Amino acid sequence: MPDKFYTLITGASEGFGKALALECARRNMNLVLVALQGPELSFLEQFIKRNYSVDVVCIEKDLCRDDACCGVFCLVKKLGLQVNMLVNNAGLGSTVCFQDGSPLFYEKQIKLNVLATTVMTRHFLEMLKQNSPSHILNVGSMASFFCLPKKMVYAATKSFVYTFSRALRQEVKKDGVSVSVLCPGGMNTNLSLTLMIKSSNYFTRLTAMNPESAAPIALDGLLNKKEVIIPGRLNNCLLVVYKLLPGRVKTLLMRRAMKELNVENRFSQYLPQPLTILRCAQVA
Amino acid sequence: MKILITGASGYLGNKLAHSLANKGNQVSALVRSPSADKFLSHPNIHIVRGDVLEKESIVTAMKACDQVYHVAATVAPWIKDSNDYYKVNVDGTRNVLDAAVQTGIEKMVVTSTCGVLGPSLNEPLSENDPRLTAFKMDYELSKKMAEDIVFQYTRQGMKIVIVSPAKIYGPGNVSHSLTANAVIDEFIYQRKVFIPAPGTYKACFCYIDDVVNGHVLAMEKGRSGEKYILGGINLSYQEFFEEIRQLSSCRGRIIHASRNVLRAWAVFQWLNYKVTGTPPRFTLNALDIVWSNYIFNSEKACRELGYTITSLPEAINQTIHFLKNQKHA
Repeated sequence: MPDKFYTLITGASEGFGKALALECARRNMNLVLVALQGPELSFLEQFIKRNYSVDVVCIEKDLCRDDACCGVFCLVKKLGLQVNMLVNNAGLGSTVCFQDGSPLFYEKQIKLNVLATTVMTRHFLEMLKQNSPSHILNVGSMASFFCLPKKMVYAATKSFVYTFSRALRQEVKKDGVSVSVLCPGGMNTNLSLTLMIKSSNYFTRLTAMNPESAAPIALDGLLNKKEVIIPGRLNNCLLVVYKLLPGRVKTLLMRRAMKELNVENRFSQYLPQPLTILRCAQVA
Repeated sequence: MKILITGASGYLGNKLAHSLANKGNQVSALVRSPSADKFLSHPNIHIVRGDVLEKESIVTAMKACDQVYHVAATVAPWIKDSNDYYKVNVDGTRNVLDAAVQTGIEKMVVTSTCGVLGPSLNEPLSENDPRLTAFKMDYELSKKMAEDIVFQYTRQGMKIVIVSPAKIYGPGNVSHSLTANAVIDEFIYQRKVFIPAPGTYKACFCYIDDVVNGHVLAMEKGRSGEKYILGGINLSYQEFFEEIRQLSSCRGRIIHASRNVLRAWAVFQWLNYKVTGTPPRFTLNALDIVWSNYIFNSEKACRELGYTITSLPEAINQTIHFLKNQKHA
């Protein structure tokens, strides 16, 4: 039995991943942080090491690249790290009319949200079984419940994550691996999302959460082996009400809701560069 | 040396203008309205009428200047239209930077805030530490966006240094009601101060003269594209006011305010504003900031710039002295 277990979090340098990494550190969990290349990851590592007595290992990898997931797994193996929690958090969001998004962006989005989640889970499953009881947290979205215009690709990838997680859960339960899927609503994860939420209507602002308040909820749910975790009381209510509504009303509501959300909003003029589709919203 | 200062009518900009003028520099002070002119009477200070929102006026003011201190910002804890934070702090900064490129300014110092780094844990935060919470205050967010713009210009080769002061107090003209000075004044003369219960929350109190010096040092020695925290002494609110009580021999009471009561009060103030139009003194988001540690490490500025921090008793004595004189004036 290894004496040290690690929690692996992808997309850990920003937004929800960062909040989750900090929350795990606060709970004395050792961390393997995977994120894009850049100084932010090592700043986070240094901060955690200075403030908490946990072990932190950083892996700089762009999970959109071919073989990146395999690379992460091989490195973890090589370092002899025993992972007993896998958090597939890295993801790419977007709010744009389908026609306006570039084909390359959609490719990247699907690669990250769908492929990376699947492949990472596949690579680590054996290790997780060995280290049971262990956990997998896949970060989906409330968008996976709705058919949202302007977010069709994003919502579809998150639906994949949702279905994938729930099905996998049934299969690996007997091996002591618990799979949970997190379905948060809008979160103030990065600058452009924060600004988009700020410029939207009162209701959207009310349902939006900060990553630092969603992270403890996610972690509690994960450790309690909850199947679907939806942070925020209001979001939970919203979902119940939504499920009761007739189909035609749903469509109408979604269309209205999405009119509000624009990457080009009243704050766009203040941003360094005009927002391009590739820069927009790295949602959890 | 010919130097332009934006925001020269404000608390910090004013002190900086006088400090630079006293050193024999020719200081141009960019000022919007004549009401603040009386604070800028000095043989070496020339008042230039202008606004950071009007780029032409900045370009005119900058001509023949070697250095620029961009201090101007909207800092009030509450303003009627929150868009103004973004207009002044983000667009204003961009205008000043553009003008500096146009006029070939040699080096700039831009004043930001420790608020961009956000709340801390028990250890003081440094320049590179990750932000622990999402941005809740428009002010902090707008300053963060301004910093991003500055870094964009430094990457293109412009020489700009960012300085981030924390909670500033000490002699100077007070612009709004929740500055540390105003609270200290109320404590001494109305003998009461409300601090967040249980009183152990810490803040970084920095003395105005240190911050002014820090700006000048940043211009002299600061590396372009770098950010320097100009902090002070990290202390709990309880300890800070106990120190003032001791030094001023006043008998002010330190009242531990409950968070929920103040939250209710903030909601009430907001409703009151909606009905009567009276501006609120504080908002719910501002409370979150007081109910967390906000402490910072000035080690980088001390090491690289030679930044010094005045001892607490001396700084407080100077402040008390100033507040007393102001009462008699």
